[in-house]
Amino acid sequence: MKKLLHITFLIAGISIVGFVVHAQNVEDLRINEVMLFNSDNYVDNFGQRSAWIEIMNTGYNSVNMENCYLTNDLNDLKKYRIPSGDPISIIPTRQFIVFLADMKTEHGTLHLNFTLDSINRFIALVSSNGKTILDSVTVPLLGSNQVYARTTDGGPIWCTSQYTTPNSTNEGQIEKTSPSEAFGAFDPSGFIMAIIAMSVVFISLIFLYRIFHAIGNANQRASRRKKAKEMAGQPIAHEDEVAGEVFAAISTALYLYETDKHDYESAIITIERVSKRYSPWSSKIYGLREMPPRIIQHQPKR
Amino acid sequence: MEQVQGFFSFLWDNLMQFAEFTGFANATWGHIAMILVALGFIALAIIKEYEPLLLIPIGFGIIIGNIPFVPGFQLGVYEEGSVMNYLYFGVIKGVYPPLIFLGVGAMTDFSALISNPKLMLIGAAAQLGIFGAYIAALQLGFTPSEAGAIGIIGGADGPTAIFLSSRLAPELLGAIAISAYSYMALVPVFQPPVMRLLTTKKERVIRMKPPRQVTQMEKILFPILGLLLTAFIVPSGLPLLGMLFFGNLLKESTVTKRLADTAKGPMIDIVTILIGLTVGASTQATTFLTTKSLGIFVLGAISFIVATAGGVLFVKFFNLFLKEGNKINPLIGNAGVSAVPDSARLSQMVGLEYDKTNHLLMHAMGPNVAGVIGSAVAAGILLSFLY
Repeated sequence: MKKLLHITFLIAGISIVGFVVHAQNVEDLRINEVMLFNSDNYVDNFGQRSAWIEIMNTGYNSVNMENCYLTNDLNDLKKYRIPSGDPISIIPTRQFIVFLADMKTEHGTLHLNFTLDSINRFIALVSSNGKTILDSVTVPLLGSNQVYARTTDGGPIWCTSQYTTPNSTNEGQIEKTSPSEAFGAFDPSGFIMAIIAMSVVFISLIFLYRIFHAIGNANQRASRRKKAKEMAGQPIAHEDEVAGEVFAAISTALYLYETDKHDYESAIITIERVSKRYSPWSSKIYGLREMPPRIIQHQPKR
Repeated sequence: MEQVQGFFSFLWDNLMQFAEFTGFANATWGHIAMILVALGFIALAIIKEYEPLLLIPIGFGIIIGNIPFVPGFQLGVYEEGSVMNYLYFGVIKGVYPPLIFLGVGAMTDFSALISNPKLMLIGAAAQLGIFGAYIAALQLGFTPSEAGAIGIIGGADGPTAIFLSSRLAPELLGAIAISAYSYMALVPVFQPPVMRLLTTKKERVIRMKPPRQVTQMEKILFPILGLLLTAFIVPSGLPLLGMLFFGNLLKESTVTKRLADTAKGPMIDIVTILIGLTVGASTQATTFLTTKSLGIFVLGAISFIVATAGGVLFVKFFNLFLKEGNKINPLIGNAGVSAVPDSARLSQMVGLEYDKTNHLLMHAMGPNVAGVIGSAVAAGILLSFLY
């Protein structure tokens, strides 16, 4: 009897310790990064994009998330229960897991039964008792492909960023400034941009100008040489100065003439033989213009 | 009796629900204001014939985008899965602008530019409007990305403006596109006063040499060398420059007439319809009627004025180095802003006011098409610095 009592105490003790350890482990979980509008970012195993929530295990032991809850509604803390028995819900030390808010639970454990959008921006991670909120965040309105993330993994400071790190560390990434912000800090007035950009535009077009100037000159020289060759031996005819407008008018007329010729015309002009085909309806033989043959009735001779 | 009552209560509930879903129940003053703007666009296009090919699709798109509805039924342009959203995809991903550039390339005759290549520099100078507006936008508190997207309005090129803003500031795309197209339609209002203000009577009657004849070989070489040079310097402008020069090669090679005809005919028409309609629909009152949009319209006007002044003043400066007889009429400086061919037509019209026999149209087409290349290069530079 005494032995049985000891065993019972031992089992109860192990259970309590186990529960406490489990509870401590679960408390190491943090919502680390959230994306509301995913148009060009993280793709799930089904090739689809949706809002996502990254959870991090900030502790130094692996944590099993089974039976914990995720929700986007403070009045319904048990909205999505993470199924038990799926090894995917075990997060190794200092690692991450990404849940997809796509309302497609049939796709697996990581797919939640709610979505995130401009209205539903509250997220809470709830312990397995369905009451204790382990971590929660209200995400500000984000742009497409932007995230709301902790500046350091599990740290207290959040920021909005266009740099996203699903399933990996936020350290040194999230706070990275975008090229435009960096350029803005370097050139707050915009004058340096104006000078550089105008110089590049000018350089590009000066290059083009120089090349086509050279090509044009070479062309003119070649045509002059050709003309001179053709004229060699022929008496030089005196030509009056002709105004440019005349050449323009001739060129326009030629151009119009050339462009007016088509391979396919919209209308077809053709000669069709008109033949009077035989038809009994128009046949003179059967026509009624002829008087019907007179029927001569012969009187029988008596 | 109870059954009848139940039926009427059911009917009443459904009628009430239907009433809540109608546009009348969901209309705001913003929606009505936007619909009035749209009607103004359509009236301008039909009565005044200001850019009707653009203003009618955009105007009608604004009406479509501002019909009030209850969100959640996949109707609006911003609602994922809606038909308008699928069509809008070509705008936000920058698909339509390069296709329009393909058609523009197939339509454009670069002869005027090839025969007098120094006119290219006017097209470069007129890009000053882009960077003038960029500086002004930064001073007004816009972020560098937003300022870059707003500045490109000064390029007077709708597809370029849409392409760049879809990358740098997608949330401002509607306002930027509407502003760019509106000012392009209003070129005849904006440019002449600036042109007259910055030129003397003597300068306005400068006669330019008639353009020399351009060989077919030069016309074929232009798109190839043009692409190689500009895209090697600014690869980020490749989608626009590549398609522009490709379209031009289709035209000038003379052996791909069918492809050129498609690019400059049915294809550009289809894309113009889609881009106009969806850009118009993207101006939903809730996202469009903001102080930022107002700022964009003011900056757009500034950029057009600065661009015009930049082109005209550059010609005056350039004339200082040119011999008598080779001088350029500064009235073609405005054409450097692109807005093909309206701004070139304006050079001709203003020029004729001062000399009835001085035809500037052919000369103005040079900087006009150079402006298209210049604004695509400028867009590439802004992308490479800010994206």
